[in-house]
Amino acid sequence: MKSVKIAATAFIALALILVLLTAGCTQSASPSGGAGNASPASSSSAPNGTVGILETSGVGPMPSLLATGQVDGYIAWQPVVEAGVESNIGQVAVYSKDLPPTGEWSNHPQNVFVVRKDFYAQNPDFVNDFSALNLAATQYINDHPQESAGIVADWLAGKQNFTYGNVSVSSVTVVSNALPTIEFTNDPSDSWKSSTSDFVQALIDIGSVNGFVKNSSDRDAVLYNFQPYQNAEAIIAAKNVTTPTPLQNTVNVGYLMAVDHSALFVAVKDWQYFNDTYGIALKPEDLTAAKPAVADFLVNGQKVATVNLVPANAGPNLMQLAATNSLQMSYVGVPPAISAIDIGTPITIAYPIDNLGSGLVVTKGAPAQDWQSFAAWAKQRSDAGQPLVIAAPGRGSIQDVMLRYALQNSGFAVTDVKV
Amino acid sequence: MTRRLGLVLPILLIIGWEIAAIIVNNPFYLPKLETVIPVLLSPFSDILGTGSLVDNALVSIERVVLGFALAAAVAIPLGIGMGRFAVLNDFFDVTLELFRPVPPLAWVPLALAWFKIGIVSIVFIIFIGAIFPILLNTVDGVRGVKNTWIEVGTTLGAGERQILTKVILPGAAPTIWTGLRVGFGISWMCVVAAEILPGPTSGLGYLIMYAYNLGQINVIIAGIIVIGLIGLAIDQGFKAVEKRWFGWRGLER
Repeated sequence: MKSVKIAATAFIALALILVLLTAGCTQSASPSGGAGNASPASSSSAPNGTVGILETSGVGPMPSLLATGQVDGYIAWQPVVEAGVESNIGQVAVYSKDLPPTGEWSNHPQNVFVVRKDFYAQNPDFVNDFSALNLAATQYINDHPQESAGIVADWLAGKQNFTYGNVSVSSVTVVSNALPTIEFTNDPSDSWKSSTSDFVQALIDIGSVNGFVKNSSDRDAVLYNFQPYQNAEAIIAAKNVTTPTPLQNTVNVGYLMAVDHSALFVAVKDWQYFNDTYGIALKPEDLTAAKPAVADFLVNGQKVATVNLVPANAGPNLMQLAATNSLQMSYVGVPPAISAIDIGTPITIAYPIDNLGSGLVVTKGAPAQDWQSFAAWAKQRSDAGQPLVIAAPGRGSIQDVMLRYALQNSGFAVTDVKV
Repeated sequence: MTRRLGLVLPILLIIGWEIAAIIVNNPFYLPKLETVIPVLLSPFSDILGTGSLVDNALVSIERVVLGFALAAAVAIPLGIGMGRFAVLNDFFDVTLELFRPVPPLAWVPLALAWFKIGIVSIVFIIFIGAIFPILLNTVDGVRGVKNTWIEVGTTLGAGERQILTKVILPGAAPTIWTGLRVGFGISWMCVVAAEILPGPTSGLGYLIMYAYNLGQINVIIAGIIVIGLIGLAIDQGFKAVEKRWFGWRGLER
């Protein structure tokens, strides 16, 4: 009898909690109710008003934030741009290449391959051969987009569906749509270099870079060493690779779970192709794993080194690991690489991994199909005293910097949304 | 009867969850049971390419056991020393109290720099989480051994070694065991913190963080439930031992 009483009391208490919870949820889901507290337009001197930027840690929470009305849009890297579209949460207002100022970002840098200087000095052949594999993998992605999409979806999600709310979308579809928005290239062309310098300047302007890079008279020498790229090109052209002396120590290579780093994923997953075609391969030790953690680096069929593939949540983490020699090489976004070099991390940028590939996603049905209509919408919302709130994946990230520049260039004041 | 009563609230919570999910009708706040149950019901099938729930749980348990065993191996001898000898206590106390409030997560950047990527960093984070409750309970247990017992032992001619092994250790054992129980609970909590370190590609904590980066809420909830269930099972084990071996504590006066 007593237990029945207790159970009844528990049930009533639970019901109360539920009512409160439900009330709280439905309230904050009402349109623009939870959109932070960006300052109203009246407090700004900018002609078109204000837009708030909410810095989230990474891109993971963005689709949820948009779906629950806590932000009006987000700027992210792939696959999160296409995932928002495929799951019917949002629509792409503008891809990063079309952000203003006009032409400024039409070929903007996105990710690079960095190498610790001491590691390159001690193992030049290994780094060159590894770079040749990267070049070959980039070629593979461009020649075989369908196979690549399958491989990348397998690495990121075991080819399973992504579930966003009630919608399940195929990871293969998401990745297939994402790949064409990214330009995979390893060529450190003049336009790439000039775009990267713009980026350095942008980072200096927002105060993220104020050390070695800013103070150097020859920034190129501080940032780059394209020797591995040039040597890799020569190896590919000659169709002949010399086997380096096997390395004593395991090599740790960092990467992110992003479509941008597809070169690594295809190189490992289709290792047999690269082994047969180029005589260079990263053969996973566990051939069945969706995301292998250890691979053998093979040159002409001979094992040269054991390579640990180290994933992290964000670029700055990878750079911290490189600083303590926990990583010898890494795939990473341009801003973390520049910032790391700026504070004295002994790494060098060896070549690009990809360009472009970020996108501004806004609420489904919002009156924003391109930058102009987005700007008009932002002005209207600012005038109405409810400035737009856009999520960005962290201060100083490439997406954050491009969005701030674009907004300022279009006559908006940017406020940081504090939560 | 008490066991069955304990099941009432979990069942109510599950019913309440489903009702709330229907009322809220927004899976981003609260996904319905139906999206989570399939994940739990197929514990041997792969999730997002990270391996199965069972694989990941085994990896996490292995890491926790390593970190916990190391913490116990350090904390119990140190705790006995500190409980028995005031000079040791005075020497260590301030330093330990300085480090105790630091959350294990705060050590992550240093752990990576010192121990590099891999199992050692993970074990270190779990070690930090587990050591303090074991240590404090051991000190407390040793101090709580009745003076009359020690005096009786001394009167009967026991040396320091015998006092330690025959009187203090058995006398303090129930409290030490409580420390181990609490310590294991905290180790298990630290597993998520430890497995967000770069490097691991397996473990329940990794699975949750990986699902978070892809915004997969149903996988996150499934992971939370499995962590909870394993924690519960292990705690029941600790309790069973407590009842079997240390039941005398409730009887002595």
